Amino acid sequence: VPASGQSYAFNNVQIEGNQRIEPGTILTYAGIARGETVTAGELNAAAQNLRSTGLFESVDIVPSGGTLIIRVAEYPTINQINFEGNARIGDEELGALVRSTSRQVFNPNVAEADVTAITEAYASAGRINASVTARLIERTENRVDLVFEIAEGGVSEVERISFVGNRSYSERRLRNVLDTKQAGLFDFIISRDTFIAERIAADREALADFYRSRGYVDFAVQNVDVTLTRARDGYLVTFNVEEGLQYRIGSVSIASEMPEAPVEEFSSVPRLREGGVYSPVNIDEDIARIERRAIQLGIPFVAAEPRITRNPRDQTLDIQYVLSRAPRQFVERIDIEGNNTTLDRVIRNQFTSVEGDPFNAREIRESARRIRALGYFAAVDINTREGSAPDQMIVDVDVAEQPTGRLTFGGNYNSDNGFALVASYSEDNFLGRGQGIDFQISTSTRNRIFSFDFTEPNFLGRDLSFSLGTSYRQTNNDAALYDTETFRFSPSLGFPVSEKGRLSVYVAAEYTDIYNVSDDGEDDPSIVIQKEAEQGGLWATSLGYTYTFDSRRVGLDPNAGVLLRFGQEFGVGDTQFIRSTALASAETKVFNEEVTLRATAEGGYLAYGEGSSRVTDRYFLGSRYIRGFEYHGIGPRDADTLDALGGNAFAVARLETEFPLPLPSEFGFSGGAFIDYGSVWDLGEDYGAEVLYDEFTPRATVGVSLFWDTPLGPLRFNFTEPLMAEEEDETRTFELTIATTF
Amino acid sequence: CVAQFRDHGYIPSTQARASLAVGQDTMETIAERVGTPTTGGVIRGQSYYYVASRFRHYGLLEPEEVQRQVLVLDFDSAGILRNIELLALEDGRVVELERRVTDDNLSDVSFLAQLVGGIGRFEASDFVGSE
Amino acid sequence: CGSDLVESRPALEAFTPEEIYQRGEVELADGDAEDAAYYFGEIERLYPYSEWAKRGLIMQAMAYHRDEDYPNARAAAQRFLDFYPTDGDAAYAQYLLALSYYDQIDEIGRDQGLTFQALQALRTVIEVYPESEYARSAILKFDLAFDHLAGKEMEIGRYYLRRDHYAAAINRFRVVVEDFQTTSHTPEALHRLVEAYLALGLPEEAQTAGAILGYNFQSTEWYQDSYALLTGQGLSMEASGDSWLAQIYRQMVLGEWL
Repeated sequence: VPASGQSYAFNNVQIEGNQRIEPGTILTYAGIARGETVTAGELNAAAQNLRSTGLFESVDIVPSGGTLIIRVAEYPTINQINFEGNARIGDEELGALVRSTSRQVFNPNVAEADVTAITEAYASAGRINASVTARLIERTENRVDLVFEIAEGGVSEVERISFVGNRSYSERRLRNVLDTKQAGLFDFIISRDTFIAERIAADREALADFYRSRGYVDFAVQNVDVTLTRARDGYLVTFNVEEGLQYRIGSVSIASEMPEAPVEEFSSVPRLREGGVYSPVNIDEDIARIERRAIQLGIPFVAAEPRITRNPRDQTLDIQYVLSRAPRQFVERIDIEGNNTTLDRVIRNQFTSVEGDPFNAREIRESARRIRALGYFAAVDINTREGSAPDQMIVDVDVAEQPTGRLTFGGNYNSDNGFALVASYSEDNFLGRGQGIDFQISTSTRNRIFSFDFTEPNFLGRDLSFSLGTSYRQTNNDAALYDTETFRFSPSLGFPVSEKGRLSVYVAAEYTDIYNVSDDGEDDPSIVIQKEAEQGGLWATSLGYTYTFDSRRVGLDPNAGVLLRFGQEFGVGDTQFIRSTALASAETKVFNEEVTLRATAEGGYLAYGEGSSRVTDRYFLGSRYIRGFEYHGIGPRDADTLDALGGNAFAVARLETEFPLPLPSEFGFSGGAFIDYGSVWDLGEDYGAEVLYDEFTPRATVGVSLFWDTPLGPLRFNFTEPLMAEEEDETRTFELTIATTF
Repeated sequence: CVAQFRDHGYIPSTQARASLAVGQDTMETIAERVGTPTTGGVIRGQSYYYVASRFRHYGLLEPEEVQRQVLVLDFDSAGILRNIELLALEDGRVVELERRVTDDNLSDVSFLAQLVGGIGRFEASDFVGSE
Repeated sequence: CGSDLVESRPALEAFTPEEIYQRGEVELADGDAEDAAYYFGEIERLYPYSEWAKRGLIMQAMAYHRDEDYPNARAAAQRFLDFYPTDGDAAYAQYLLALSYYDQIDEIGRDQGLTFQALQALRTVIEVYPESEYARSAILKFDLAFDHLAGKEMEIGRYYLRRDHYAAAINRFRVVVEDFQTTSHTPEALHRLVEAYLALGLPEEAQTAGAILGYNFQSTEWYQDSYALLTGQGLSMEASGDSWLAQIYRQMVLGEWL
């Protein structure tokens, strides 16, 4: 390399050894023009520039007299890349990891980085002793094939997990708190058992959370020792824990360092009670309630900080929430990106924060949850960065859209209607406006249904949903020798009436008809049906409302929830009726949130002022209300023709529980058990027929269910045994339905 | 039903407002002490506006601004505070917004494009009828 | 189903680069851009050091672009710029790179992120290859993409205006008036400022916005709307207050715009 300090002037530059890259290109990369006076330092810089392009194996710049010689050797170009010896991870996946690509110049340090990337991929898949080497195969025209040879090595599994120092909880209880289970029966499927360093770190965290949320403030995992089994294909993992003492809550108080936030306004807010077991989760919930209360009072920038004083004598902790001024931060802008079809306003509507408002991290998380709940996006991530001033925050919302429409032509089966051919089109985000459309036609042996529903969730840009439902249902009840036809059209408006309550008001027009009543003398349908059919097709118009109170909508305790629904529909015009329906359901999770208990009571009563009910109006309880019976299985029945006639009133109660099964969670199976109790009764006008079970005659079923979370959605298999049933009821022992939450 | 109230924007507290000194405080000292203003004037560097409003949400009615405070801080050309004023909701004027919009010559997503997107996607409810 | 061609693609090792290039041109002429791109790509793989590799690479970028396979078009154009930055076709490669972002804007109309990338790529064409034949159309497309960004700011500004969040709306419209003043949205932004400032009870600001609108966009309907609005409120169109007048004079008459 030329001695520094000297300077050279060249009248021409000679470039040697380049094959693909043109002299002009090399000159521009080197940054030397012909005829310039150049110092030695600049020559070095030029050589360095050329090397940094990654295109050259070697670069020499040699001044000789008036000419400057730049001698380069180009790296070969990659013709093809392939992987050998990989079974656990496919070529496709490895291809994505590797940065070298065909047609690019081969670069040894890029290839080296690829080798480490592949080795890491295998390590995190649990094959820590996999080895990878890169090899070049010469090709014509200075090209090479890059081959990654992979020796995967055996899988390292966790054979046994044991604990030392656990006094309050059994080894079995702790084991299922941890992720890595012992090497189970199906180890070839489950990847969870493989031994991964970060997984053990996650387990230490899981143990700490488990103990701390049960009052063990001083819990610590002393160390985790890991020994290799003799056969070197598995590990023995032992967690040495120090539980410490269990602490309960002592006094709970509030102090305020902010004149604008007086203590009296907040004293009733914390739910933490003296004597309860200490848990960081409850403390976080109290802080959330206090901050929410501050917003309600219109006091921005209030932070509640828990100060804990420990009294070891009686193992209690005194909690004091101190209200202090939080740093002043504002939302400068909310920038939304990635919404290819969804309109900006549909996403922005989910924010209660407006640009210029005080920045409230909890509020932003809530909005993120609401945006995800829309179901239009595969991924929604929101992060914040500083804006044009230190106290100005810019909220970046990056969404990745997913198809939100389903166009299906096919068949479906359910226990009430049997097999049905279905053509359906539904779009949850119609034209990106957040509107929902659902259009279905289905024909089965029992009925033909056509339905069209439309919903606009932000009608007139407000938190006001407008929906339109039309349905036409034609049933040919082959068992009961008559056909019915029902057409219903109902627009409705839904809006919040309180923090957790929503009211929907609607008008409805319904046309019902009973026809094809066979009257050939031997097996005619009940006289009631015949009389009702004589009234022919009837129009009924009605107004109605439904009030729903859902405590989970804003509830802080995600595990428990109460749903109340009460609605009335008033028939106006020639048929005057009042149909009242009510539902009350409560759910809670117990045993470390693994077991769900749910109790539901549901009822309906149809009272007529003018005219009387018909079989198309009355209640027939399907499996959605009470399980273990066929669709027309229970309720008032004509004594001699045994036609099910339906009832004007129904009341059911359901007690259910859902619990995990001792199967690996990857399979998506969980179990359940339930007791259903209830009845449908009160035929109303019986036209002189002798009617069985017209009064409240209770039925009861007990059953177990199997839930299967398939990639297409949750399925539910019910196996039922009727405890109380009447002689003429039509029972059944198996049902297949979609598992729905209430 | 129950009316719900939501507060938006920000205005310095009464104590903070009392500390503003006309003729001494500058744009920088004010922004530092009481926070960056919610908005400013058409021409920058002349005035700070802090705006805080309370909206009443009641059933299906349009959310209504029921309370608004606008703190107006005017500065002279040297950026020294010249005048403080507090406006309320009544000082605002009812304005009929113009319906016309400058066309952004972007075609909306077509119905057909979305329809095609939905072919072949299934969900459990497609196989197990609900009612 | 995949493209039928995949099985029938003959092993090209036996052909000279020129023959493969011609085969690519034939495919392109038949309107089968995807296959053309495949053939041009093969030249680069099999004969990377031949003269045909360079020409094949730029044709590959163009073919992918015509096939609307924008990611591949970008990759090919970028490879050309890496290997042949000083080549005569480098301007075209950079332009193709910019077009591959720009053309996606129509397809993904709503997304802001992509528009930024298009603007940056177009700016490179304008600044690095000012004399090239593509600079002029790059400037045209740059303005359209810029206009599209202003449109998004306006969309959000109107969202807040309609919901009476006047301060938030004002901030958005001010961004348009300050950073996007050459776009078609500026007159409307100024009128929206008149509306928002009036609603907030700041008539002087409304008049200032109206005055700037009046001076620069007298012929637009927006000016009529502001005029009606301001005079309807008993306010004159001139800016009130002395020092502002001086500033408005400097900006409007002397052209030191905002």
